[in-house]
Amino acid sequence: MRARRIIFALLAVAMIAVMIWRPRLPITVTDSTRAVFAMIDALDSNAVVMISFDHEASSLPEIGPIGAAIADHCFRRGIKVVGLALFSEGNAIGYDLLSRRAIRQGREYGDDWIYLGFRPQYTAAILGMGEDIGEVFATDYLGAPLSRLPLGARVRNYEDIDLVVSVADGSMPTYWIEYAANRYGEKVVAALSAVMVTSFTPYQESGQLAGILTGLKGAAEYEQLLQSPAAGVRGMAAQSAAHVLIALLVLWGNIEAWRSRKRRAA
Amino acid sequence: MWWETTITALLTLAIYTILVGDNPIFKFAEHLLLGLSIGYSLVVTVKSILIPQAIAPLGDGQWAALIPVILGSAMFLRVHPRLAPWSQIPLALLIGAGAGAAIPAMMQARVLKQTAATISGSGTVDGVIILLGVLVTLMYFVFTRRHTGAWGRAAVAGRYFMMIFFGATFAYTVMSRMALLIGRLEFLLSDWLGVI
Repeated sequence: MRARRIIFALLAVAMIAVMIWRPRLPITVTDSTRAVFAMIDALDSNAVVMISFDHEASSLPEIGPIGAAIADHCFRRGIKVVGLALFSEGNAIGYDLLSRRAIRQGREYGDDWIYLGFRPQYTAAILGMGEDIGEVFATDYLGAPLSRLPLGARVRNYEDIDLVVSVADGSMPTYWIEYAANRYGEKVVAALSAVMVTSFTPYQESGQLAGILTGLKGAAEYEQLLQSPAAGVRGMAAQSAAHVLIALLVLWGNIEAWRSRKRRAA
Repeated sequence: MWWETTITALLTLAIYTILVGDNPIFKFAEHLLLGLSIGYSLVVTVKSILIPQAIAPLGDGQWAALIPVILGSAMFLRVHPRLAPWSQIPLALLIGAGAGAAIPAMMQARVLKQTAATISGSGTVDGVIILLGVLVTLMYFVFTRRHTGAWGRAAVAGRYFMMIFFGATFAYTVMSRMALLIGRLEFLLSDWLGVI
């Protein structure tokens, strides 16, 4: 119990020290992040990207920065954004995130972006949007009929959407793959909390996912490509410090275990 | 506002007191978080589902909305021992529709396409390793055959492949949890204390 508390204290001290000191560490951009960035960069300014906030509030520090970086990229290039949430907790978070980014980039609600709101029963919602988005979301998050919003009237189903980005902390991208990608041929990108990455890599390898962005590291890489460092880049030094400390502790623990085994044998 | 940030910061610190041990301050913050989360989800569901899809259409005289309302309400009959069988009707509909949509989709995405990708990728070194990994891992899960001889050695290799996967997943989990801590520390040091 005492050793555990010492480890917690060491971690806190190491991370706080690095956050105050703020060393700039080099960030290597992975192929996966580069591919997602290139995919969005290649879209023309009339294209539509759907960003689905499929996460809970608890994972916001990790995947919020990825959602923000993608929204920034889209708004900066003039790409239209359709936001929604398939988790109730992601609903207000998604609206708040998109509206802040849109204001910063001077984008107009209704013309440049809309927010559909939340729908439960994600299977029915994803399948329904393949036929008619207006049937699933008759009104937007603010209660306006979709048909009265220029962008809402333009997007009827996945045929009018160039890319879906599921910002998720769980298995929701699986349903986007199964129902939007495989059934309707929609391109799907998963912006995931790091813990989910190993579960989704096979989908990327089999070509069912167009790309994966990995947690805070993915956000840092994306910010690097956007040349606008934000929360992701800021967090990388502290993350590296924590990883180095944990690796050293694992190493030390193994050496101690080996030494005590040797002492017992002697 | 300063007091809002301070309340958030104090609640964050209250949650972290669990590291010292279970205590009433942690319990208070934990219960508050759960209550808020459930309350928020309830309000969102009522505002975005119940009102626009049930109450408003019924108010406009669209009586077809009564069908899902009756079926949905029937779910709650489970609490009454004599009326409980009626709750099985909406459940049967839900499970039937869900399975009908899910089974072909899951077969396609999780089995057929993954199998095809595993086989078609075997022309590269990575592809051969993946194919080999899949085969020996599947061999580990054959429990109707004794794991001895060549089969046993392959099963052990399968276990090593799984251990590599678990190791990578654990490393990503550590990365994920550290990212959450970074988010909270940044809030405490920047938004609350203003030291960074």
